[in-house]
Amino acid sequence: MKKNRQFGTALLLLCVLGIAVPPVWAQSKEFPVSSHTLKNGMKVLVQPDHSIPNVALYIFYRIGSRNEHPGTTGLSHFFEHMMFNGAKKYGPGDLDKAMEANGASNNAYTSQNVTVYQDWFPRSALELIYDIEADRIRDLTFDPKKIASEREVVASERRLSVDNNNFGLLDEQLRATAFIAHTYQWPVVGWMSDIQSWTMEDLKHHFEMGYSPSNATMVVVGDVSPEEIFQLCEKYIEPIPSHAPPPPVTTIEPEQLGERRLVVHKPAELPLLMIGYHVPQTNNPDFYALNILRSVLFQGESSRMYQRLVDKDQLALDVSYDVDSAFDPTLGVITAQPRQGVDPPACEKAIYEELENVKSGLISDRELEKAKNNQLADFYREMRTINGRANTIGTYEVFMGDYNKLFDAAKSYSAVTKEDVQRVAKKYFGPNNRTVATLLPENEEKAKQ
Amino acid sequence: MTRGTSGLRLLALFAFTLALGPVSPGQSLHIPPHEKIVLKNGLTVLLMEKHGVPLVDIFALVKTGAAADPAGQEGLASVTAGLLRKGTRTRTAQQFSADFDFIGGSFSAEAGADFTNINAEFLSKDLSRGLELFSDALLHPTFPQTETDKILAQSLDGVKSAKDEPQAVLRLYYNGYLYGTHPYGRPPDGDELSLKRIQRDAIVRFYETNYAPGNTILGVAGEFDPAEMRKKLEETLGAWTARTVGSNSVAAFPPAKGKKLLLIDKPDATQTYFAIGNIGTAANDPDRVAIRVVNTIFGGRFTSELNEALRVESGYTYGANSVFDSRRAPGPFGIFSFTKNETTTPAIDLALQVLEKLHKNGVTEEQLKSAKSYIKGQFPPTIETSSQLVRRIVVNEYYGLGDDEVNQLEARMDAVTPVIAKQIIEKHFPVDNLVFVLIGDASAIRLAVKKYADKMDERPVSDPGFWPPPGAQK
Repeated sequence: MKKNRQFGTALLLLCVLGIAVPPVWAQSKEFPVSSHTLKNGMKVLVQPDHSIPNVALYIFYRIGSRNEHPGTTGLSHFFEHMMFNGAKKYGPGDLDKAMEANGASNNAYTSQNVTVYQDWFPRSALELIYDIEADRIRDLTFDPKKIASEREVVASERRLSVDNNNFGLLDEQLRATAFIAHTYQWPVVGWMSDIQSWTMEDLKHHFEMGYSPSNATMVVVGDVSPEEIFQLCEKYIEPIPSHAPPPPVTTIEPEQLGERRLVVHKPAELPLLMIGYHVPQTNNPDFYALNILRSVLFQGESSRMYQRLVDKDQLALDVSYDVDSAFDPTLGVITAQPRQGVDPPACEKAIYEELENVKSGLISDRELEKAKNNQLADFYREMRTINGRANTIGTYEVFMGDYNKLFDAAKSYSAVTKEDVQRVAKKYFGPNNRTVATLLPENEEKAKQ
Repeated sequence: MTRGTSGLRLLALFAFTLALGPVSPGQSLHIPPHEKIVLKNGLTVLLMEKHGVPLVDIFALVKTGAAADPAGQEGLASVTAGLLRKGTRTRTAQQFSADFDFIGGSFSAEAGADFTNINAEFLSKDLSRGLELFSDALLHPTFPQTETDKILAQSLDGVKSAKDEPQAVLRLYYNGYLYGTHPYGRPPDGDELSLKRIQRDAIVRFYETNYAPGNTILGVAGEFDPAEMRKKLEETLGAWTARTVGSNSVAAFPPAKGKKLLLIDKPDATQTYFAIGNIGTAANDPDRVAIRVVNTIFGGRFTSELNEALRVESGYTYGANSVFDSRRAPGPFGIFSFTKNETTTPAIDLALQVLEKLHKNGVTEEQLKSAKSYIKGQFPPTIETSSQLVRRIVVNEYYGLGDDEVNQLEARMDAVTPVIAKQIIEKHFPVDNLVFVLIGDASAIRLAVKKYADKMDERPVSDPGFWPPPGAQK
């Protein structure tokens, strides 16, 4: 579904790696990305691939819910919707109609950190796409009638993904409890009362704050040449003037000094458990060791957590770990759905014991090698489509600070040792650093009373 | 802003489009070359060499799916598939996972209504290992009792978990209400009661009856040496013992007459999730390409008539669409959306108006041109990877469609005119006879939604099963 945001899955930074990375991806000359910065400050990255006659174009704006304030939470996401609702040349509805009539489709997502616009199209629609993107960056309009109806669309999206979805609901409560200072504490979709209260002035202010070309990175992958893309950018994008970027987010979340717990009571068939740990931002050097740890604990049916909770003890239906790409220290979230009749604390206990095991002893050589093999296979799975590559190149550029880090990833992962994995497990996965959220079925509780 | 007032802007847009040259994406869609061989044991093998990324994808299609589940044992095909990796002659479930995960491979097996598919993917350098593991699961599962008990209990909790999310179960109730006790009405993954009735014996029998080389099409695509691949396939899957199996025909089910409505009560729901439709078409229906073009206009893309009305113009919902779930026998057709409790009847009224308008006005030449361009332009990324390609060639082989399904798509679409579209609408888009299924807060919407049907049924979401209610099943 378009213009949406999915909880937990948005922009999970690709885990890239391998000791034995074949040379085809290992060197930038065999994976050629051309880079050019426009005079207005927008950086453009192009990777030609003529295997299909199509193009994936991503524009990453460095603005998200972390740039918001109480009272207007969810504004970045709402604004993302408004970017499809009319500009000077392409009025309300025209953008989607023009794209689809020319074989193109689009979508967008908003996270705590970025707002990303995606176009997928046959190369015959290339110039049209630039005309449309330039029009809405330069001359977005705000039609009061569109604002009113889009507000309802977003409210419906919130009901779908939070009110009527236990995972979305508990995730929201968890973050609101785990963060007491930083803006990561509110939901990307926004609180319902804020959704109902935004004004046109709020939207205009958001546009001025976040949508300077210099605050964006464009990535184009597919049936194009770098020269033609840079020419199109010079014609359509470069004339758009830049202005000041959003004010920096200066709040630093204070260290958590003890466990926090919360409970949600609602009608449900099964309980739900989420445990959040404060972990560093994406460009932290511990990123690679944390990814290896994640793989050892959670990836595949042979992973430690799956073996223990799902298979051996049969405590949970599933167990997983998610962390969003982030500019600031963020939350790593373990999610487990307790089986019917299993008390959530039993799941919790098993999870803590498995965490203790990776802290008190080293993982095996085979586990380390398996984790690295999985990173390599995942890398190819992501890089085999023009869409996956556009997303990966952009994500490295925006969150790691340089798309060239993609070529260093193999080296960075192969440098991770068993001791590193143990060290990050000890450093980030302690009891004082965790917030525990539990959803308890109301009907079951009543039956017990 | 309504559709009517944007005429001027659209004119301007068309002038612009012409200036850019022809709208047509200009490529011709085609399936890359591949070969078909039949092994001595009767196994059909499709091989597609595809370079670029060092991965190999396997897609095995066993021509028996959930439609073959015995009544009252829904979920049998699904748990059989799920158990393939949970113990073989030479590996425990844990060993199988450890071995597959070690090479960074993926393995999955699932049963849909018509067929069961077993897929694997691994790096090209691990071909021998990957193929051996895949064959082990497909040819030598032992269905250990402990693993059987585990998967049945997990599947049961999986049904409960799904019921906490209306979107996840809407189609299960809808198919049940539409098809009743016909095999397409059964929940493919079972329900809270059927899963308790399934015994290990039935699973073993299901496997032995249906998993046979003559009942399977196997596709392999990716980076490999074809001669080496043929040899390795002979060594592994060539050893699969030939067996005769019965036919797997599914009888066509007649469309519902009149109007009926099922309301599933979920008291905490803040939105109503609804499905409206009737029996649709079979996968090999001669009209399938024209249906696809018309459905793209009606409910198959963002600017479709349904989404324009229910989302863009009214703000009733985050999304509305329509789907022909085409199968061996005619599958379900449905309009799907959701809206807050208060706007339940305005949203459903509007969906019905859009449907009536489609019948009254048909579609224009301009709409057809846009839809064809959209389908053509969006198609190449759906046949970009070896995993996409292998699935497509095998499924097309299964439904008897072949490569022409892709290679002739553009030519077949070009033949669709407004006159043909009108015939397609009358023949395939139900309007007078409709089945409604709603999941929502019954106390808030019950009285208002009565008007849609002559017959209305109601069940709480928390009651075991979907539809028909378990007690009513034979």
